[in-house]
Amino acid sequence: MSDSLKIRVQSPGMFTSLQDLGRNGNQDSGVPFGGAMDKESHKIANELLDNQRSEPTIEMTYLGATFEFEGEGQIAITGADMGAKLNNNPVAMYKTIDVQNGDVLSFGQAQLGCRTYLGVKGEWQAPKWLDSFSVVSNLTDLDGIPKPLKKDDELEVKILSFIPNRKYPIGSIPVYSSCHIIRVITGPEFERFSIEQMQSFFQKVFTVSPDSNRMGYRLEGELKDYVTKREEISSGIVEGTIQITKSGKPIILTADAQTTGGYPRIANVVRDDLSRVGQMKAGDEVKFMLVNLSEL
Amino acid sequence: MNIQPFGEDALLLSMENEISAEVNNEVIRVYKILKESDLFSFLIPAYSSLTIGIDRTQYTIEEGTQLVKELSGNATIEQQKEQRLITIPVCYEVEFGLDLEEICRSNSLSKNELIDLHCSINYKVFMLGFVAGFAYLGSVPSQLRSSRKVTPRKSVAKGSVGLAGDQTGIYPVEAPGGWQIIGRTPVHMFNTKKEQPNLLYPGDLVKFRSISLEEFKIIQIKEETGIFELEVEHV
Repeated sequence: MSDSLKIRVQSPGMFTSLQDLGRNGNQDSGVPFGGAMDKESHKIANELLDNQRSEPTIEMTYLGATFEFEGEGQIAITGADMGAKLNNNPVAMYKTIDVQNGDVLSFGQAQLGCRTYLGVKGEWQAPKWLDSFSVVSNLTDLDGIPKPLKKDDELEVKILSFIPNRKYPIGSIPVYSSCHIIRVITGPEFERFSIEQMQSFFQKVFTVSPDSNRMGYRLEGELKDYVTKREEISSGIVEGTIQITKSGKPIILTADAQTTGGYPRIANVVRDDLSRVGQMKAGDEVKFMLVNLSEL
Repeated sequence: MNIQPFGEDALLLSMENEISAEVNNEVIRVYKILKESDLFSFLIPAYSSLTIGIDRTQYTIEEGTQLVKELSGNATIEQQKEQRLITIPVCYEVEFGLDLEEICRSNSLSKNELIDLHCSINYKVFMLGFVAGFAYLGSVPSQLRSSRKVTPRKSVAKGSVGLAGDQTGIYPVEAPGGWQIIGRTPVHMFNTKKEQPNLLYPGDLVKFRSISLEEFKIIQIKEETGIFELEVEHV
């Protein structure tokens, strides 16, 4: 048994980065919350490996990466199905998998869902910034901040022990589709909207714009007869805040969103549906459902 | 002062809906008390509101609300009277101040008048936001008021000093932006190698000092080598 598993990036895919639970507590400095877009899948990957909650996983976006392993270790794959292959043979998701020296793990394109998580058993040896491994998508050029993975990067995970292989209950594995019903509670400026605008927000089927990323999901489709009366005074934003932009289109703010904004906040995605939002991809359809905070 | 739930894990404390030093002072007062208490998962002070993160494994929204009310209403905790006054050197040469000439024209000012006005007062840090470390400073002398650029730039250089409406601000990192750029500071506003990466915090005071291109370059070298000493007074 070697002391560490090395992971070499053969091809990085579309946007592949280490992500953990993010940076809570630095928002008064304007630092985004960050962390995995689908924290549920990220957590499951670590649980399948009996890792500490604070360990990162590799987050892949829409088009997956290819990795080569040096040493022996254990991995788990969760989130969207990117047709993962180990040495060209299909490999199961949502369970612990053993990898050997020289193994090549490759991912293709997500058919349903958008983000896949690769967990590795052990302690990640990677740079942290403000106590987190997470890449911040609009601060990738700065020294001292973790960077997205690129070809030939080498990652290292310290192996402490092996565990008997685990499997996530089949019935609990999330099933993705290209139509999403996202539960929301009302936002701070909800009552500034007219009844017709509120109704159209909940009746319309919105489409995810290709201009969506870790900072936010832009949606196509406008609120009925929307005219901005005036700009709001910039105020705080949390993960899942939905703003209505000048053109009447909603934008769902996600992990790497800026911490303040000036568009009216019509609603907020409920915590349990945030991970679902992180699995939406361009072209998917979205409908919002209003729930009551007291029911949650 | 009104407190309402904001999402499932936060509260939004709203003061009077206006941009003024008075209202913002009250936001900063509560922000400092809550920050000191270390009971909240995050805090986002803004012009007239404070977003407060509630750790739901510890408190319900009702308990969190109660806690905020008790702490903020506690008159015995005096507001820290002392504020930091930080002097930021700015080079207003046209190669940095891309919109300086345009603002001079639209606001009928000479270049020197614009610089003197921008350096004439102490600004208050109302809030941070937009990108990590970006401080919104206000309020500028009325002669400097300007609208944002019709077409925002795809990229504004790090250290750029801009004007927008009643506000002035410094881009801590390279970012897209629509502010009117009048100069550049060689000072690192956001240093990822430091535990507290941003230079400015809500409630700080800022004064600008006009520097020559030569001094810009000297400070730049000093900053790179870590020997630049920032002018900080406690007032």
